[in-house]
Amino acid sequence: MTTLLSVDDLHVAMGPQEILHGVSLTVPEGAIVAVLGSNGVGKTTLMRAISGVYRARRGSITFKGESIANLPAHRIVQAGLLQAPEGRQIFSNMSVRENLVLGGGEHGLGELDRVLAMFPVLGERLKQNAGSLSGGEQQMLCIARALMRKPTLLLMDEPSLGLAPKIVALIFDLVRRIRTEGVSILLVEQNARAALRVADHAAVMEDGRIVLAGPADQLRDDPRIAEAYLGGHVH
Amino acid sequence: MDLFDPYYLQQLAIGLSLGMTYALMAIGFTLIFGVLNVVNFAHGEIYTLGAFAGLVLITAAAPPIAAVVFAALAIGAFAGFSLERLAFKPFRRFTDEASLKSRAMRESTLLSSLAVSIVVREALEIVFGSQMRSVPFEYLINTPVRVGPVILVTGDFIILGVAAAMLIGLQYLLTRTRIGLSIRAVSNNPLGAKYVGIDTDRTIIMTFVVGSMMGAAAGILVGLYYGAIFPAMGFVPGIKAFVAMVMGGLSSIPGAVICALILGISESMATTFVSSGWSDMVAYGFLILTLIFFPNGLFGAGRERV
Repeated sequence: MTTLLSVDDLHVAMGPQEILHGVSLTVPEGAIVAVLGSNGVGKTTLMRAISGVYRARRGSITFKGESIANLPAHRIVQAGLLQAPEGRQIFSNMSVRENLVLGGGEHGLGELDRVLAMFPVLGERLKQNAGSLSGGEQQMLCIARALMRKPTLLLMDEPSLGLAPKIVALIFDLVRRIRTEGVSILLVEQNARAALRVADHAAVMEDGRIVLAGPADQLRDDPRIAEAYLGGHVH
Repeated sequence: MDLFDPYYLQQLAIGLSLGMTYALMAIGFTLIFGVLNVVNFAHGEIYTLGAFAGLVLITAAAPPIAAVVFAALAIGAFAGFSLERLAFKPFRRFTDEASLKSRAMRESTLLSSLAVSIVVREALEIVFGSQMRSVPFEYLINTPVRVGPVILVTGDFIILGVAAAMLIGLQYLLTRTRIGLSIRAVSNNPLGAKYVGIDTDRTIIMTFVVGSMMGAAAGILVGLYYGAIFPAMGFVPGIKAFVAMVMGGLSSIPGAVICALILGISESMATTFVSSGWSDMVAYGFLILTLIFFPNGLFGAGRERV
C-alpha cells in the first residue's frame, strides 16, 4: 500500500507553549487510521496543523508525495485533504443547501446526489437553517460538506462527541461506508472502543507525543490500551 | 390644512431624495459592517475620497461625467484595499480558537478604522483646506424635472437608479454566487470557512474593495447632487448609514435601504412640521428606539448580537 499522508517529527506551538513535541504518523492509501487519547493531549492540534489552520514550527507533512506543511488551509483543501472538524464548524446562519454548495467549492454540486444518498435526512432539510438541525444532523452535515469535494483523505475530529449512542453507531457505520467509496480516513476519537473496531491502524497520543502505534487489532488486545482507554478487559 | 397640498408632497419628495442619498451610502456600509460582520468606521472617508477623486479629475481635465464616476470607483477600490491591509489585517494574525472567537479582537478594528478615518480626514484638510469646494456648474446633476405636482431633479433619478442597481446586484451576489456565499460563510464562521477551502483573506479584501467602490460612487454622486465637496462631508452620511443599518437589522441590505428612506422622509417631515433643528434628533431618536424595542432591527433575522 502506498503512503497517502505522512507526518514526520511535527512540532506545533501556540505562542511560547509547545503542544506537539514531534509527532510522526502515516496514513496508507485506503486505510482508516485512528488517533486515540484523552482530552487535551493535542489530537485536535494535530488535525488542525495537518489542515493548515495551525502552523508547524518544525517537521514535515507530506500528502500525495508533496509537502503541505504551512500551505494556507484553502490550498490543502484544493489538494483533496478535507476535514470534518471538531465542533462541526458548519455555517449555522445559512441553509443546509448553502453549506453543501460551499463544501463543493469549485467542484459545484456534482457530488450532491451521491452525498444525499448517504445522508437522506439532509435531503429533507435542504432549505432549513443549518443551526436548526439536531446535533447528529449537524455532524452529518459537517461530514457531508467535506465529502462534496470528493476528498482523497478525510480527517474526522471527534465525530461521535456529544451524540446519543444510537447516532454514534450510525456515524461509525458511515465511516466504514465512506472508506468503501475510496476515501482514506484519519479519525480522532475519545471513544477508543468504537474507533478500534473500524480502524486498520491506530496510534495513542499522550501529552503531545505518540506513545503507541500499530495495527488496530493488536492494539485492541494490548493490555495497556485495555486498562487506560477501554475500561478494563475487552471482549 | 390639506395634507395633499403640493407643498407637503414636495417635502415628501425631498425626504425621499434625502433618504436615497443615505441609502446609497448605507449599501456599501452594510456589506462590510453588517454582512461581512467587520466593525468599520472608515466608510465615511471612503465616500469623501470618492468625491475628491472626482473633483480633482473635474478640475484637472474636465472629462465626461462617466470618467469622473470611474475615477471615484478606482480610488474607492484602492482605498478599500489599503484600508483593509492597514486597519483590519493586523488583527487577524492570530488563528487560535480563542482569538477567532474573541469579541475584543474583532471590535478592536472599531478604533483602528476610526484612526484611519481621522488621519484621512485631516490629510484631506491639509491638502484641500476644510472649506467647501463647489462643483463646476456643468457637472451638477440638478436639472429640475417636473413630475405631476412636485419638482425633482435629474440627480434624484440617477441616485435612485444607482441605488437600485447596487441593491439588486448585491442581493444577487450574496445569495446566488459562490463569492457571495463565501462572504456570508466567512462572516458566519471564519474557522469553518477555512475547512471548506475558502481563501478567507482574499474574500475579506474583495468585500472591502466592492463595498468601498460603492461608498466612493455614493460620495461623488452626492457631491455632484449637492454641488459641495469638503473633507468632513462623509461624517454625517456615515452616521445616518450606521443608523439605517442597525434599524434594518445589521445584516440586511434591503432592510438598511428601507430604513434609510424612512430616515430621510422622517427628517424632512420633522423639518416641515417642527423645525430644521429637529431633523438630526429624528435619526438618533430612531436609533435609540430601535435598540430598545427591536434589538434585532426591524428586518433582522434573529441573530446573536446587535
